Amino acid sequence: MRSSFYSVAVRPQLVAIAAGLLALSLTGAAFSAAHGGAALMKQFPDPADPASFAADYVPTVLITGSNRGIGFEFARQYAERGWNVIATARKPEQADALKALAAEHPNITIEQLDVTDFDRVDALAKQYVDTPIDLLLHNAGIGGGGDNQFFLDMQWDVWRQVLEVNTLAPMKISEAFYPHVIASRDKKIVTVSSSEGSITKAMQPRLYFYRSSKAALNMAMKNLALQLKRKGVSVAMVNPGPTDTDFMAGLPKKMLRPTPDAVSDMMRNIDGLTVETTGSFYQYDGTIIPW
Amino acid sequence: MKIFDDEHFRDGDEPETGRREFVAGIGMLMAGAMGVSKAAATESGVTPLPAPAESMTTVLITGANRGLGLEFARQYAERGCRIIATCRNPDDATDLNAIAAGNPNVHVEKLDVLEHSAIDGLAAKYANMPIDILLNNAGIGGGIQNQIFGRLEYEVFYDVIAVNAVGPIKMCEAFRDHVKASALKKMITVSSSQGSIASVSMPMLYWYRSSKSAVNMMMTNLALQVARRGIIVGLVTPGATATDFIDPRFRKAIPNIREPEVAAADMIRNIDRFTLENTGSFFNYDGEIIPW
Repeated sequence: MRSSFYSVAVRPQLVAIAAGLLALSLTGAAFSAAHGGAALMKQFPDPADPASFAADYVPTVLITGSNRGIGFEFARQYAERGWNVIATARKPEQADALKALAAEHPNITIEQLDVTDFDRVDALAKQYVDTPIDLLLHNAGIGGGGDNQFFLDMQWDVWRQVLEVNTLAPMKISEAFYPHVIASRDKKIVTVSSSEGSITKAMQPRLYFYRSSKAALNMAMKNLALQLKRKGVSVAMVNPGPTDTDFMAGLPKKMLRPTPDAVSDMMRNIDGLTVETTGSFYQYDGTIIPW
Repeated sequence: MKIFDDEHFRDGDEPETGRREFVAGIGMLMAGAMGVSKAAATESGVTPLPAPAESMTTVLITGANRGLGLEFARQYAERGCRIIATCRNPDDATDLNAIAAGNPNVHVEKLDVLEHSAIDGLAAKYANMPIDILLNNAGIGGGIQNQIFGRLEYEVFYDVIAVNAVGPIKMCEAFRDHVKASALKKMITVSSSQGSIASVSMPMLYWYRSSKSAVNMMMTNLALQVARRGIIVGLVTPGATATDFIDPRFRKAIPNIREPEVAAADMIRNIDRFTLENTGSFFNYDGEIIPW
């Protein structure tokens, strides 16, 4: 992965020039193949130029944790929009609703992925090496259990799990799928964060681990936004608001929004994301959440 | 997942209200109902140190063998405070031991903040000692080369977060009763402007920065949690300082890099400023509030 990261991490114009030069030389071709450049050279559209993509270009979204809740609804709505959907789940064999959805929508492909299994992340990235991914959508997340994170009774092993899923996995998957994103037309990396990750908005003490994992994630993604802006990649966090899913089972229903609304709101914010607004943390209503 | 389960908020079951109103109400509440030190609510907002001798101010400092921690120990000792100075390897802490040799109020203790049982052990050893200022100073950077996108070292993330974010909150758990029993009741953590998501402008130090954002969130939660016990929680930053923390090769590239004695003095001044009114604040070395 490291070599392909470097091979794409140069100016697109240089890639085009280099591609021409390399084609003249056997040595160059060998170099290119060894560094994962072959996949890039095969592509007709210039990833740096959205206008070079065909009018009937079909974008691709990869969604983690799409077996239920918000992830499932993302898969459904992007599929109905006509996108290619790579819907990942830890246990696809148990994801009956997702399997039924995929049976209705041939543009949905289900893949097994536990986001904490970094070897599997790398294998999946390799499997899709020739597939540009327009939207890398980090949706999988865990709360860690409210009663594992009380001051004076912190369960530290839970902290590591929460960090692994909510903070590290999105960074690992972003690294692994960066070449796919950079080869796409839309070039977006979006993470479902939470207003619980806003330090500014914290008004009651709770969820130390969950909140910290989201604050840490927001920082890492802000860094990534700064890093990839000049590559034309947009990075953002979106917040669904309190949503009627298993994740929020402890809350009264009247406080929760329907999942389709939460997802269509987040999709609207993702649609509006550009490199100019990269690094933003979007509330579902389109306002910006302070850090 | 249960989130709103108020009966479990053992230490801070405050009604949901605007944070400003909430914090503003705390001072009066504390001074009156809780019977805490009146000093915590002086008009100037500055908390004076109590007189030495029997009401001697006690400061516990982690990572006190060098750099900022050593300066904290030196300067608080010069103020006449009792110091519990912890470090991983007291045998090698030449400078700290020299301070302790000339001052019977400076106690050097072995502590690695990664070892939670050792933290609990130290808390038990000082069970009857009120600690006025718990100063979480120990921190690691994780190495610039381990935090570059495209070759992020994931295990380093856990190391950095364990020292920089978990260590401080574990210390606050273990020493909560000591701080609560003291006059000043302050839990202070040395954070970094690198932890300000709003301020960062160049991509680097993914893990270090995330760990500081995480500890900022932890301490914000803690400030809300323990305010009603009269405990003040604060975050301070030293600014770029010429310590072992920054590779000597890089120090030259940082304009206005400061000496540790200056940085520690600035942070001590800011620690003095913390009251229940501004608990949870993130003070830059120059006294400004750093945005999250």
